[in-house]
Amino acid sequence: MTDDTQALAQGLNRRDPDLLDHLIELYQHRLYRYLLFLTGNPALAEDLFQETWIRVLERGHQYNAKSKFESWLFAIARNLVIDVSRRKKMSSLEDLGDPDSNQPFDPPDEHSTSALQLLVSRENQQAVQLSLLKIPAYYREVLLLRFHEEMGLEEIAAMMSTPVSTVKSRLYRGLAALKSVLPEGAV
Amino acid sequence: MTETLHIRAQKFFAQSLVEGLSHPDQSWLDQHLHECTDCVREIASIQELLHALRTVPVSVPRDLAARTQLRVRLRAQEPTLTSHGNFLLWVITGFSWFVGVLSAPLVWRGFAWVGNYLHVPKLAVEMGFVLWWAVPALFAVAAVLHQKGFNISPSRGPN
Repeated sequence: MTDDTQALAQGLNRRDPDLLDHLIELYQHRLYRYLLFLTGNPALAEDLFQETWIRVLERGHQYNAKSKFESWLFAIARNLVIDVSRRKKMSSLEDLGDPDSNQPFDPPDEHSTSALQLLVSRENQQAVQLSLLKIPAYYREVLLLRFHEEMGLEEIAAMMSTPVSTVKSRLYRGLAALKSVLPEGAV
Repeated sequence: MTETLHIRAQKFFAQSLVEGLSHPDQSWLDQHLHECTDCVREIASIQELLHALRTVPVSVPRDLAARTQLRVRLRAQEPTLTSHGNFLLWVITGFSWFVGVLSAPLVWRGFAWVGNYLHVPKLAVEMGFVLWWAVPALFAVAAVLHQKGFNISPSRGPN
């Protein structure tokens, strides 16, 4: 345990508002992107962003500094997303908790446009980026954590409370799903 | 070139991204890609998508961080039930229970005397005695559960 993570754990235990201000500033982009990619809904991502930090405040004493702070933070955010998806039965999240069916991946309708697609397409029209939004959330999540956040397999597994083998399997399926949504002419 | 070789190359490529490849497998993949333009094109597309995943522009809404900071600060100012507070609560509860048991015969006699004096039916006196003990305890349980509801929100913890 480094001095930094120990100091972080102590600060969270004290519910230090200055520390929380700093953490919110520091992790705002990564956390918001993670929530947006998971939910596909900017308004919901905003709500969950705020709720995640409230939960960090309330449960700061549970952070033991054995894991990286960002893994703990994402785990909180992930649990909130799962709670919301269960409460609202959001089909777009396709139940993050139990995605490992043997059914083949079925690409969605080319013309369907989610709020996330609109948000991203306003800034970047490249079809290649929109392709990412066509794969199921539970694959998108592991791909994001692995290839954007550059988390290790064990780290992702700990965050998601699943075995490493499950994470690997989702990554392989996620890559296969990516292949199936490649823009025409790309392959 | 056979289909099997292409499938093997795709499998090795995915494996190299997910968990890494052994040296001989990596050499085989490199050799295959040197000879197979189809696989090179497909792998390049996936790499392009992964690159897009890393660079996709998502801007955080303006003031979201500031609004969150304000909300967190306001919540931080609300009183919480600390472990010290919890301990005190248990001590007070234990003491209250102890005194309650000791004083039960006196309270029972008091109720019997009042019932007798006011000519209240015995059943009503007994019910009054039970309520005398039960109502404060029920209020205490409700207060504790209410407090826990604020501290432990509805979902699982972050492990």
